[in-house]
Amino acid sequence: MNLEFKKSIAWMRENLFSSIPSSILTVATSFFVLGFFRGLFGFAMASDKDWLSVLNNMQLYMVQAYPEEDFIRVWISVGLALVFAGMSIGLWKSTEESSLSEVFSKFLRVSLAFLFFTVVAPTFSSVTDNDGIIQTEESFPMETRLQLLIPSAILVVVFFVLKNLKLNYKFNKSDLLCFYLAIPIVLMWIIKLPTIQLDSSNQRIFPDPLMPIADTTKTPWTIIFGLFLAFYFIGSRFKDSKNIKRTMSISWVLLPLFIFSWIFKKPEIDLPTILGQDIPIFIGIFLIGALTITFINNPVVEKYFSIYLGVLIAITGIALFISVPILLKSALLLLVLFTIVIPAVSSSTKGKRNLIIVWGVSLFTLSVLIRGGSSDTQIIVQQQSIFGGFSLTWLLAIFGTYVSFPLGVLLALGRNSKLPIVRLVCTGIIELTRSVPYITWLFFASVTMAVFLPEGVNFELVVRVLMVTAFFSGAYFAENIRGGLQSIPKGQYEAADAIGMSPFQKTSLIVMPQALRAIIPTLVSSAITAFKDSSLVTIIGLIDFLTIGKVIIGTQSIPVNFVGHDRENLLFIAFFYWIFTFTLSRRSMKVEKRLGLGER
Amino acid sequence: MSIIKTNDVKKWFGDFQALKGISMEVQEGEVLVICGPSGSGKSTFIRCINRLEQHQEGEIIVDGIELTNDLKNIEAIRSEVGMVFQSFNLFPHLTVLQNVTLAPIWVRKKSRSESEEKAMELLTRVGIPEQASKFPGQLSGGQQQRVAIARALAMEPKIMLFDEPTSALDPEMIKEVLDAMKELALSGMTMIVVTHEMGFAKEVADRVMLFDEGLMVEENTPTEFFDNPQNDRTKLFLSQIL
Ligand SMILES: Nc1ncnc2c1ncn2[C@@H]1O[C@H](COP(=O)(O)OP(=O)(O)OP(=O)(O)O)[C@@H](O)[C@H]1O
Ligand SMILES: [Mg+2]
Repeated sequence: MNLEFKKSIAWMRENLFSSIPSSILTVATSFFVLGFFRGLFGFAMASDKDWLSVLNNMQLYMVQAYPEEDFIRVWISVGLALVFAGMSIGLWKSTEESSLSEVFSKFLRVSLAFLFFTVVAPTFSSVTDNDGIIQTEESFPMETRLQLLIPSAILVVVFFVLKNLKLNYKFNKSDLLCFYLAIPIVLMWIIKLPTIQLDSSNQRIFPDPLMPIADTTKTPWTIIFGLFLAFYFIGSRFKDSKNIKRTMSISWVLLPLFIFSWIFKKPEIDLPTILGQDIPIFIGIFLIGALTITFINNPVVEKYFSIYLGVLIAITGIALFISVPILLKSALLLLVLFTIVIPAVSSSTKGKRNLIIVWGVSLFTLSVLIRGGSSDTQIIVQQQSIFGGFSLTWLLAIFGTYVSFPLGVLLALGRNSKLPIVRLVCTGIIELTRSVPYITWLFFASVTMAVFLPEGVNFELVVRVLMVTAFFSGAYFAENIRGGLQSIPKGQYEAADAIGMSPFQKTSLIVMPQALRAIIPTLVSSAITAFKDSSLVTIIGLIDFLTIGKVIIGTQSIPVNFVGHDRENLLFIAFFYWIFTFTLSRRSMKVEKRLGLGER
Repeated sequence: MSIIKTNDVKKWFGDFQALKGISMEVQEGEVLVICGPSGSGKSTFIRCINRLEQHQEGEIIVDGIELTNDLKNIEAIRSEVGMVFQSFNLFPHLTVLQNVTLAPIWVRKKSRSESEEKAMELLTRVGIPEQASKFPGQLSGGQQQRVAIARALAMEPKIMLFDEPTSALDPEMIKEVLDAMKELALSGMTMIVVTHEMGFAKEVADRVMLFDEGLMVEENTPTEFFDNPQNDRTKLFLSQIL
């Protein structure tokens, strides 16, 4: 212990007090941090804060008006995501291990933090009374502090001792992660939380009684966690299979699309349309693609291939603007993309067979998603969209990134293209979208877009918002990616040319991977910005996560009066956003590190 | 029959004429060394042979195919001509093995396992099989250049072009690259090498050429070239370099 203590003193001397300016800086920063946390605690603990206004409105926060009888769909969505997570953690199971003493040192840090907060929490805090006058009250009396100090001090001592027993039992890090996740699940069955209860005259009963967490919350979570564990074990069984890993990565991309278009949306499916329209389109387009793949090396086909591709692009272009089923439009688009790729991949019989399978599966997935996405929903809500609260924020963030990222890649490539007309169009789109504020685009989506759409075509507001968002963040992505493209030395292009790669192969195998790697930090910060900016949709009447806390709960008076409690909610919202963006940027740092290997 | 034949090749960069009419022939299996002062058009000339630069006048015929704007011809020629650059130009995001297998898999459309087997053979040939799973950035310059040679060989080219393959290397690494090139020359590969390594030229070359100001001013066997130069500019060049 003595040695460790000396070590930490030495560390402090070296890093925090190495010189007079750095000592001053250390002291000043500590004061600032301390002051910040004290203020935060004083705010959170003051008796006029009603945290039940947050706790009691979780459902509203997550799915807003989504009807309760269809909640099973929400649970299925969450469950699917966690099952995927379990499977992935298993598949990419960490090979690192932590010893028991490392685990205890983690717990020690948590209990130290708890002790720290108990010590720094202010005794008095300011409260706004009914007349709007700010008063000081004793919000954290000494007894309470002592009551908390003693157990937390005991915890600190216990974990300190345990840690220094130097128990060297090793645990796999992924196994440990599952163990940590089990803690909140178990706690759910033990702890009791304050709940709002109303008396016979609909008045709130104070103090709020403690109640166990509702079965409708803890049972699904427990089942989901069980599935998570099961799939974690399944995943770790297959952790050496590259194919399953690849499938899993692609499934991750498709999962949100599937959840939004089929599970959350509850689409109205009519068999005649599927039989009479979807299946013929699928078979027709599939055959065209499969035939192209099969006969690509035939000299006649080879000779007329570029003409064929040109015609195909023209047909697709026309189809986009006339009224044909949306499935046909998107299937044609996919066909064009595939046809561009075919000459670069297939040639051997085996390669061709694989490509046909990939083509069939992609087209099928597309058809399924489009059918769900374009059908009417059976969920009835009293507003514009079945998405509200976090589900809306999530939808905007995910779809925004999904559509805008590939769009950004295309725009960036287009802006560097040798064909003047392509360059002009892409530059035009980028400059036009970037030079107008996002809010203006939102108004454009809600008010003016209908004018520009062909007769009879009408999209839901959410879809229109997604369209402008895709272009808006796509333009930013494009400029970032263009920066990345410029950082690729000329020698890379020449080397690719010299080994006979086609322009398409050069772009997709040499240039793009390097360009994207070089700009991961910028891309992540763009994605984070897009995630946070999604809260601007409140301005055109959509109800996102932020709007719920600030507007809805802040003015909620039925069944419980929460008027004026928007500050607690804002703090909660800030925390919630922070968790997501922080996780995202931490993950991206890891990815950067892993990919950085090639850079050295 | 000659495998490369150029006829009065001229090339301008804007107003500046970099090549002022180069006519030459290379026989199959021949090793040709090109030297000359900086800016004389050596790089420009060999880069014209695989169309990294485009010549404006004259003709270049490689293995019976004339280089024109026809993309098919360009692709055909590039898959028969390997090139090694002064600055290696390996793909930094791919491992050594991936660098070498890239072209066979994507351009020649061979199976992965076959390509990897071939790649390991080539890496063994240039003496670095143990580096296969590393990234280029983790290798020394000499090792990188040998990977670049293996990468070019993976396309099974008939002709190899080298543009000052050793001038970016530390002296102690030059030998290992030159050894790999010598071995290649002995195996009967047709090679055009731009280099200032006169030792290599004396030992390996079948013919040596001197470029100056966009013109080929002397062409000779190595012994004649070094011991009995005909042209004054060759004498001047040799006196500066030796
Ligand atoms: N892309 C280009 N644009 C304009 N001028 C160029 C370009 N590439 C080469 N040149 C010019 O053409 C001339 C010949 O260049 P080249 O690179 O072929 O010379 P070199 O003989 O290889 O010289 P070094 O030994 O320095 O490599 C030089 O004067 C150079 O400035
Ligand atoms: Mg040169």
